Amino acid sequence: MFVVLRDLLRYNGEFLAGILLTGIVVVMALLSFFSPYPPMDQFVAPMDVPPSAAHWFGTTSRGQDLFWLLTYSIRNTLAFGLLVAILSRILSLSIGLLAGYRGGWVDRVLMSINDTFIVIPLFPILVLFYFVMRDNMSWVMLAVLTASLGWSYDARLIRSVALSLRHREFTQTAVFSGMRTHEILSKEHLPFVLPIVFSTSLNNMNWSIGLEVTLAVLGFTDINRPSVGGMIYWANQHSAVVAGIWWWIAFPVGLVVMLFIGLYLLAVSMNEYIDPRSRLERGGGRKE
Amino acid sequence: MKSAARWLAAGVLAGSTFWGLTQPAEAQGIPRDIPRKELLILENPEGTVKNAAWFNIWAINANSQSNGLQQAALDTLWYIDPDSGIDGVWDNSLAAAKPIYNANFTEMRVKLRRGIFWSDGVEFTSADVKFTVDMMVKTPGMRWSAVLANAVETVEAPDAETVIFKLKRPNSRFHSLFTVRWNAVWIAPKHVFEKVEDPNKFAFDKPISLSSYVLHSHDPDGKWYIWQRREDWQRTSLARFGQPAPRYLAYVDPGPPDKRVIAQMNKELDVVHDIAPEGMFTLARQNPTSKAWFKGFPFGHPDPTLPAAIFNTQLDMFKNKDVRWALALLIDIKAVSMASYRGAATISPIAVPPTGRHPEFYHGPMQDWLAEFEIDTGKRKIKPYDRTMARQIADSLRPSMGNQIPSDPADVAKAFGTGWWKPDPQAATELLERAGFRKQGNQWLKPDGTPFVIRVVVEGDARPIMTRAGSMIAQNWRQFGIDARVDVAAGTLLTRRAAGDFDVILSWSVETWGGHQDLSFFMDSWHSAFVAPPGQSQPLRNWQRWSHPDLDKIIEQIRTIDFDDPKGIELGKEFIKLTTREMPLIPLMAYNVFTVADETYWTGFPSADNPYANPVTNWGNSRYMFVKIKPKQ
Amino acid sequence: MRVYARYAAGRFLQFLLVVFIGINLAYVITHATPIDPVEHTVSVATAFGQTAPDAIESMRQSLRELYGLTGSPIEQYVNFWRRVIVADFGPSLSAFPTPVSSLIGRATPWTVGLLGVATLITWVIGNSLGGLAGYYRRSRTLKAFGILAMALHPMPYYIAAIVLLIVFGFVWPILPISGGSQMNVPRGWSADYMLSVARHSVLPMLSLILVGLGGWFVGMRSLVSNIVTEDYVTYAELAGVNKTRILTTYVMRNAIVPQVTGLAISLGHIFSGALITERVFGYPGIGSLLVDGVHAGDYSLVLGVTTISILGVSIAVLVIDLIYPLLDPRVTVG
Repeated sequence: MFVVLRDLLRYNGEFLAGILLTGIVVVMALLSFFSPYPPMDQFVAPMDVPPSAAHWFGTTSRGQDLFWLLTYSIRNTLAFGLLVAILSRILSLSIGLLAGYRGGWVDRVLMSINDTFIVIPLFPILVLFYFVMRDNMSWVMLAVLTASLGWSYDARLIRSVALSLRHREFTQTAVFSGMRTHEILSKEHLPFVLPIVFSTSLNNMNWSIGLEVTLAVLGFTDINRPSVGGMIYWANQHSAVVAGIWWWIAFPVGLVVMLFIGLYLLAVSMNEYIDPRSRLERGGGRKE
Repeated sequence: MKSAARWLAAGVLAGSTFWGLTQPAEAQGIPRDIPRKELLILENPEGTVKNAAWFNIWAINANSQSNGLQQAALDTLWYIDPDSGIDGVWDNSLAAAKPIYNANFTEMRVKLRRGIFWSDGVEFTSADVKFTVDMMVKTPGMRWSAVLANAVETVEAPDAETVIFKLKRPNSRFHSLFTVRWNAVWIAPKHVFEKVEDPNKFAFDKPISLSSYVLHSHDPDGKWYIWQRREDWQRTSLARFGQPAPRYLAYVDPGPPDKRVIAQMNKELDVVHDIAPEGMFTLARQNPTSKAWFKGFPFGHPDPTLPAAIFNTQLDMFKNKDVRWALALLIDIKAVSMASYRGAATISPIAVPPTGRHPEFYHGPMQDWLAEFEIDTGKRKIKPYDRTMARQIADSLRPSMGNQIPSDPADVAKAFGTGWWKPDPQAATELLERAGFRKQGNQWLKPDGTPFVIRVVVEGDARPIMTRAGSMIAQNWRQFGIDARVDVAAGTLLTRRAAGDFDVILSWSVETWGGHQDLSFFMDSWHSAFVAPPGQSQPLRNWQRWSHPDLDKIIEQIRTIDFDDPKGIELGKEFIKLTTREMPLIPLMAYNVFTVADETYWTGFPSADNPYANPVTNWGNSRYMFVKIKPKQ
Repeated sequence: MRVYARYAAGRFLQFLLVVFIGINLAYVITHATPIDPVEHTVSVATAFGQTAPDAIESMRQSLRELYGLTGSPIEQYVNFWRRVIVADFGPSLSAFPTPVSSLIGRATPWTVGLLGVATLITWVIGNSLGGLAGYYRRSRTLKAFGILAMALHPMPYYIAAIVLLIVFGFVWPILPISGGSQMNVPRGWSADYMLSVARHSVLPMLSLILVGLGGWFVGMRSLVSNIVTEDYVTYAELAGVNKTRILTTYVMRNAIVPQVTGLAISLGHIFSGALITERVFGYPGIGSLLVDGVHAGDYSLVLGVTTISILGVSIAVLVIDLIYPLLDPRVTVG
């Protein structure tokens, strides 16, 4: 593991950049534990102060210190992304592996369900759900919902890998030695798909965070809980753009873009690491 | 090398296309081929109209009303102005005089004007009025069907200029159905609708007008409507005040608040309906031709509506008035004013909007009573009223806003209101404890031992002001140890408000004529006969689902007196005293609407100095500004 | 051929199943909405004027009859399917009695026009540049472009759109930021109208292209760079075949197949993607119709739009799956 990490850091500029960007964002999120301000309160600082020594990122028209508010927001946003990634990985892994391994009618049924999720228009459904759930729509609830809508593409990918594993010798050996399905899947097949799981989960986080930001900006999430999208929502409520309070929009957008690019770079570099051909290229093996 | 040249060529091509498409962008936001100097562009706050080619306003799903239809094309018997009015608050529009009731208010007689014509040349007569009423009574499911069917026994038109309504029961306010305050029952053209089989399914496209403008063109996707002044505008009721100045009116959907500000700065929107306070300040700072209701702070036009924190009084926790009072005493009105309006709020401690002529009838005369008003916390008696509250808000703004803030006490009262309740957490604690609530650690518990949780329902995006006020109030309560959260209802607001699906809702259940002392406009619907049982839909406007025997007595007395009877003021004061003691809703402030007019092309818009009409663009009453504004050059 | 027919029939059955499940799911969710269309209509109709409370109950009753909401849930469900089969979604409840299909019909050209064209442009540019970048790995321009595309790609669409709007509509206002065409320009196939539509589509189009480009670019680049190492390409290079020809016939043709699938799916997703674009740029179309319908509790309208969008994606996927075996002989059917 350590060797892998060292190799990645040494030879892969994208990985290094990704680590740096994501790292900054994570540090921001951790800083929230040291915030001098309670996260939900407004009018605890002067209003509309531009970035300065006293308030690094300035303050909002709601009298909040933007820097410290952003630490809470990014923490909540990150937590959401992580939770969705974990939940949807569990779904896509179990369904993808099972469908690929069992094949036959199990595969057909599972893939039909899978395809249904692919064709369902995601955004309208989420908005509808928001109205159905209303005040019960906590962020955990939203994460569960997002995860249950966001596993299908990756499940297909995992299934295709599992399909190829099914005919490999070691699977046959395992079957003959009397291992049960769930044992084969978790002990024999899982290690092969783990790298894919890793890189897809980074992309999945990007996807789900983007979705949450969008929903929050449009006011379809719990506005009590600070989040990056929620900050933009409140900035719009106060016409921050035309009022010239640019920092209220610029810093949250900047930080979340850093997170997106960081996660994306990590995913890309990990993909390349998994794929030996491009790893070879990195090392300078290929001439043109 | 070759490929580089190709890239360059492609880049130049793409660049020039982009440039070509961007060039005359400054003219993109205004209608083509209509002289700008003859055109007044107004915001239609309904946004994009889904069913754009539907002009039958009498059908229940009329879709758009304020796309110019009710402001420029339709007319009815009377208008009542929320401000001072063009020629007094009351205007006889299609009617020649005020309504004449018989002694026990079971019959209303109307004299109509002559010489008014529909835009297709047919003369308007009493037959149109009779037809309008009969059509809706006969066809259930139309907009005013139920109201008219419940009230009207028969309607007769003995001659072309007389209409006689025979009522099912005594009703001294029946004329208000035909009196425009925002809207009213509009008169339909008999010669068009009598040929229609099912008036519920008739689009009325293109509409025939009874007022000064006819439809010129409109967007099939519902983003804009252009109206043209009638050649025979003299044959309309509005002609009494002269020729409407703009030859064309455009009612447009300018998008969200930020875009409205940009559009006005680009001279593409003459009258903005409403924006956030911050947008208002930006316009005042950067666009010198922008004029709001007040010359300076607080700018906005106070609508005769009263945003309030409305309790669902059918919930166990809010049945006790001590609890309601405790929550009122926890609100810091200065913070609410700052959070919602940035201080540009006109606050009111009583359940009547501090707008129009109400301060002179109610707020002013009741100051002494309010100052002496006492509540008993169980441990002691306190006088919660602080009559200097509005002045304190004005004073706190003066350092940053300078001489924009008035200093004359009368001007301060006009702009910021009068006093409000002093925050008093100690008294709130005593009141809550008397009601059986107790504090455990940092959390208040209800008498049954469960946490005291309050969901404060706000509308969200569509009403930033109340969303912002609601979030401040929740914070005030939360800091006291009550688990209060804001809940954005967005599109569900109407259903939730009617269903009572809220603990506290930021909305308005008090709404008045504004220019007139009569309070029946909202109060009649507060009668206990109309209160729905928990779980069922509450008809407007008693969202607090509150009833009181004394209130019923006041309402029943008002029903028996004439609209203009000065006794109405006394009954109004009784109502105020009752609601102050009971606190079924916490009155906050006037609904100040930041309607901003740009004086680049037109001048003479209504303002606090010249309050001849309501400038708020979606009100039917805003039509009076068409005859009073003048072209700039 | 018989093998293919069996495959096609199976695939078609699966398509029907997916559509059936999808629409049912949408039916259940839309009917679970807490917004009562009757209540909404009553509230809107009485929000401003004065209405005696005792009149409201009779108003509700007549509306329920008018909207046809009086049957049992099962009757309503059966009626729904009966209508869907003939592509009729009934009258819209919030724009009664205008049929849902005519509302959708009016909005669709805008959505398809904007998003369809944007998707195609994005696809063509992204894949051509991606292909070039995969083949000419040393080119600095293409490398720089790769970095740019990677930076833009993961950005949530809303943020890219709002940044463009602020830059070109406010800071440097040279483009229209709202609406689909200029006011009072008559509709038709006139150059004037077309130009106006084009101008209004620049910003929304640009935002869609910027965000969409990176995905195709990166995908195509890695596909091509994999193919480039295949033996037959190396042989062709050794045999001195013209580079452009290698790129177009040997490399791109093979790499493009998965990208065509992707294109079909993105085209199918047009209807659900329209929502945010329309909201940010005030553009007319299906998305705003949907949000309106959700807010008004107009489940006829919401179901109509969702059904169209489910059909859009499923048909796109079906068509691709059916022609896939014909395109790429390496895919075995079975």
